[in-house]
Amino acid sequence: MDACVIRDFVAVLGRDNVLTEPTELRTYECDGLTGYRVVPALVALPGSAAEVAATVKVCARHGIPFVARGAGTGLSGGALPVADGVVICLQRLRRVLEVDPMNRRAVVEPGVTNREISRAAAPYGLYYAPDPSSQQVCTIGGNVAENSGGAHCLKYGFTVHHVLAADVVLADGTVTTLGGDSPQQPGYDLLGAFIGSEGTLGVVTRVVVRLLPKPATVSTVVADFATVAAAGDTVTSVIAAGIVPAAVEMLDNLTIQAVEAAVAAGYTADAAAALVIELDGPDDEVTEQFGQVLELCRRHGSTNLRVAGDPAERELIWRGRKAAFAAAGRLSPDYIVQDGVVPRGRLGEVLVRIAGMADAAGLRVANVFHAGDGNLHPLVLYNRAAGELERAERLSTAIAELCVELGGSLSGEHGIGTDKACSMPAMFTQDDLDTMQRLRAAFDPEGLCNPGKIFPTPRLCGERPGPYRPHPLEVAGVIDRW
Amino acid sequence: MVTRLRPESLAELRDAVRDGPSRLLITGAGTAAGWGGTPAPHDAVLDVTGLNAVLAYQPSDLTVTVQAGLPLAALQDVLAKKGQQVALDAGRIARGATVGGLLATADGGPARHTYGTLRDCVIGVTTVLADGTVARSGGRVIKNVAGYDLAKLFHGSLGTLGVIAEVTLRLHPLAEASCTVAAACTPERSLELAHRMMRDALEPVALEWYDGRLLARFDGTASGVTRRARATGFEEADPSVWQEVADVSLGGPGDTVFRIGTLPGLWPWVAARVRARTASPPVLSSSLGAGVHTVRLGNTTASSFDRLREDIAGRGGGTVVLRRGIEVPAWGPPPASVAVMRAVKQRFDPSDRFGAGRFTPWF
Ligand SMILES: Cc1cc2nc3c(=O)[nH]c(=O)nc-3n(C[C@H](O)[C@H](O)[C@H](O)COP(=O)(O)OP(=O)(O)OC[C@H]3O[C@@H](n4cnc5c(N)ncnc54)[C@H](O)[C@@H]3O)c2cc1C
Repeated sequence: MDACVIRDFVAVLGRDNVLTEPTELRTYECDGLTGYRVVPALVALPGSAAEVAATVKVCARHGIPFVARGAGTGLSGGALPVADGVVICLQRLRRVLEVDPMNRRAVVEPGVTNREISRAAAPYGLYYAPDPSSQQVCTIGGNVAENSGGAHCLKYGFTVHHVLAADVVLADGTVTTLGGDSPQQPGYDLLGAFIGSEGTLGVVTRVVVRLLPKPATVSTVVADFATVAAAGDTVTSVIAAGIVPAAVEMLDNLTIQAVEAAVAAGYTADAAAALVIELDGPDDEVTEQFGQVLELCRRHGSTNLRVAGDPAERELIWRGRKAAFAAAGRLSPDYIVQDGVVPRGRLGEVLVRIAGMADAAGLRVANVFHAGDGNLHPLVLYNRAAGELERAERLSTAIAELCVELGGSLSGEHGIGTDKACSMPAMFTQDDLDTMQRLRAAFDPEGLCNPGKIFPTPRLCGERPGPYRPHPLEVAGVIDRW
Repeated sequence: MVTRLRPESLAELRDAVRDGPSRLLITGAGTAAGWGGTPAPHDAVLDVTGLNAVLAYQPSDLTVTVQAGLPLAALQDVLAKKGQQVALDAGRIARGATVGGLLATADGGPARHTYGTLRDCVIGVTTVLADGTVARSGGRVIKNVAGYDLAKLFHGSLGTLGVIAEVTLRLHPLAEASCTVAAACTPERSLELAHRMMRDALEPVALEWYDGRLLARFDGTASGVTRRARATGFEEADPSVWQEVADVSLGGPGDTVFRIGTLPGLWPWVAARVRARTASPPVLSSSLGAGVHTVRLGNTTASSFDRLREDIAGRGGGTVVLRRGIEVPAWGPPPASVAVMRAVKQRFDPSDRFGAGRFTPWF
C-alpha cells in the first residue's frame, strides 16, 4: 500500500493501531473457514465509532475495499480479507454501554461478545436470547452481520428478532441509525434487511438489543433412539402436538461417539441417534408438555431417557452438544462443517441421501443438527494429508445443493460468504440475485464494503454463474414461475 | 375513471406491471388506503386481490405459502383446522386485510408483545418490480440466511417498492387455553405493573394499556393460564376487549389515527403529551413491552397535531399516520436513515411508478 495512504490511516488511528507488517497481517488472513486465506494490505484497529467512520472515509477517498471483522469465528469466509484491501477489526470496541432493565434492552459496542451481553443482563434476571455455540467468543457485530441463530432459535428466533437498532457506518463514511427505540418505525425495514447482509452493507458500530426475562422453568431431556428415523418421527409428533420446544437437537452415532470421547456428557455411545429436547416457559405449561414429550419419545421406541436433574446436569448436556464441531477432530484429522436446511418433514430423506453420497465419495459424514427447524450440520470428515480435500469439498457442496433441491436452503446460520457464493445460482435465479444487488447498490454504490461475498463472481466461480437455470423447486413441480 | 387491473396469477401480474400504464397504485382489500401520504394521481389501480390462493401448506414444518391477495382471516380459517395460526391480530384483519397488505403496512395488534409483526413471521417473498422483474428472496424454511432478506424491505413499504405477489410465513400453534385479565390504572402505574409481570416470568402473550385499564392475556394450558392469571391479582376480563384494542387503529370518518414508536418507558409521557395537545379526549392504547402506542383523535387541529409529532420526534419517537381527519403532512421529521430509504426507492423503482405520494414529503 502506498505510503501516503498509510499515513492517512495513521493520522486517523495513530501508529499503534495501524498494522502493515506481514507477520502482523497474517493473523487476519482468514476466519473460521481456514481453507481460504488472503493477506490484507492493512489492518485498522479503531477504538471508537468515530474512528471507524474516519477509517472508512479514508478507504472511500482512496477507493480501497474494506472488510469488517469481529472475532473471526465465521464459518463461511465472510471476514476473508480482500487483497490490497483493509481489514477493520472491531475488537477494541467492546464496551457494554448500557443495560436498561425497565425497557429490557442493552446498548453495546460491536466487539462485545454474545455471552457478555447475557452476563451483563443477568443481575436483572434478563438475558439475550440468540445463543450461537460460539457465543463465548463471537461478537454481536458478527452476529448482526450473519443473523446468527443458536440452539434455541426454533422458539425464540434469530438475531433479527432481537436487535432493535444499529448505528452503521456506510461505505462513504457517513453514519446512520437503522431501527430505533421501538420496533414500530416509519418506512422500509432497513434494519431487518441489513441484519444477515454479511458485512456487505456497512460497518456496525453500536447495537441495541432486546433482553428477555429468564423463563420460570427449564426442562431438558436426552433421549436415545435405535434409528435416526425414529428420532425424526419423534420431533414431527412433538410439533404436531402443538408444542414448540425451546430447542430440539439431534446427534447421530458418529457425533455421539466424538462428543462422549471429548466431554463425557453422558450420551449413550452406541445409540443410533440422540435427541436433546428442551422446553422452557411457565411452570404448568412446561410440566405438562414435558410429560407429553417424554411419552412421545417412549412411543417412538426410546428406552433411555435422561432428564437433567439440575442446572449442572443441563449444562453438561449442552456442553456436549456445543462441543460437537470441536469433537469431530477426534474422528478425523480434518473436517468441513456444512450448514444446509431442509423442510423438517424431509429430514429422514436427506439423511439417507447424504449417507449414499458419502459412501459414493468414500468419505464419512457425521451429523449433528437443529432438528426442530431442519438445519443440518453435516461434518464431512476427511484427511488432507491423504489428498482427500477436494473430494470432501465437492461432497460438502453437493450436500448444500441437495438441501436446496429438497426445498430448503444453502445456509441456516453460517452465511454464504466466500464459501457458498458459487452455489447461489442453485437457489436463486439471476433476476433474484440482481434484485438483491439493487439493495447493495443503494447502500454501497462503489462496491467497497466487503466485496466478493455472497454473490457469485466469474473470478471466484469460473464460468459457473451462467445463464438462467430453472429453479430446483420448479423442476420438482413445487413452485411455478408463471 | 381510473383503470383497474386485476391479475389472477403471477404471470398476469407480471404482465400487468410490465405492459400496463406508467403510474400504478397497488391495492389489496383497501383497508389501509388512508395510511401514509395521499396518493398522487395515477394511471391505474393494480388490485392484487385476484391472487388469493394458498400455494403450499406444510403443518409439520410450521410454514405456509400464499398469494399476497389472500385475506388473512381466510388463511386463519384454513390453519385453525390444523391447530395453527399466523400470530398476528391487527384490527384490519376482521375487515378483510390481505397478507400482502398487512406486510406492506407493517401493521400489528396486541400479540406484537410476543410475536412482533409480519416482519417477524415472513420467511420468503416473491415480488414484481417496476420493470417486470420477478424476484424471490428468502425461502420456504424457517431458518435461512442465504442472500439478502428483501421481505424485510417491503415491510412498511406502503406499495412504493414493488408488488408483493407471494409470501411464505412461519406459523405458531393455537393455544389450548387463553385467559384475559384487567386492572384499572393510570399509564404511570401500568408501567410498574407490566414490569412486575414480565419480571415474574408470567409471560403474557399480550400486554396493553387501553381505556384506563392494563390488559394481559395468557395463552397456554388450561391450568397454566388460570394460575398465571391469578398470580397477577387482576380481575378476569372479557376477551372481546382485544378486538376493541386492535380496532383503535381503524377509526371512523373525521378521525385522525396514528401510531407512535418510542422507548416503552416513555408511555406515560406520550399519554400526557397527547392529552395536552388535543381538545377532546383521545382514544389511546399502548403495547407496553414494545413501546408502540396507537392514538385516535376525534377532534384536533393541524397545528396541535404537528406540534405533538415534533414533541415525539424530539424524544426519538417515530409516527405513522393511519387516518387523517384533518389536512396535515403525512410524515413528520424524517429519521436519520431517510437518505438510505431514498436510495433504495431509487434502485427499486427509479421512475416512481409505484405509490407516488405515499412518502411525501420524505421522498
Ligand atoms: C465452533 C463454532 C460454532 C459456531 N456455532 C454457531 C451457531 O451455533 N450459530 C451460528 O449462527 N453461528 C455459529 N458459528 C459461526 C460464527 O460464530 C457466527 O457467524 C458469528 O456471528 C461470527 O461472529 P464473529 O464476531 O466471529 O464475526 P467474524 O467471523 O469476524 O465476521 C463474520 C461476518 O461479519 C462481518 N462483521 C463482523 N463484525 C462486523 C461489524 N461490526 N459490522 C459489520 N459487519 C461485521 C464480517 O465482515 C463477516 O462478513 C459458529 C462458529 C464456530 C467456530
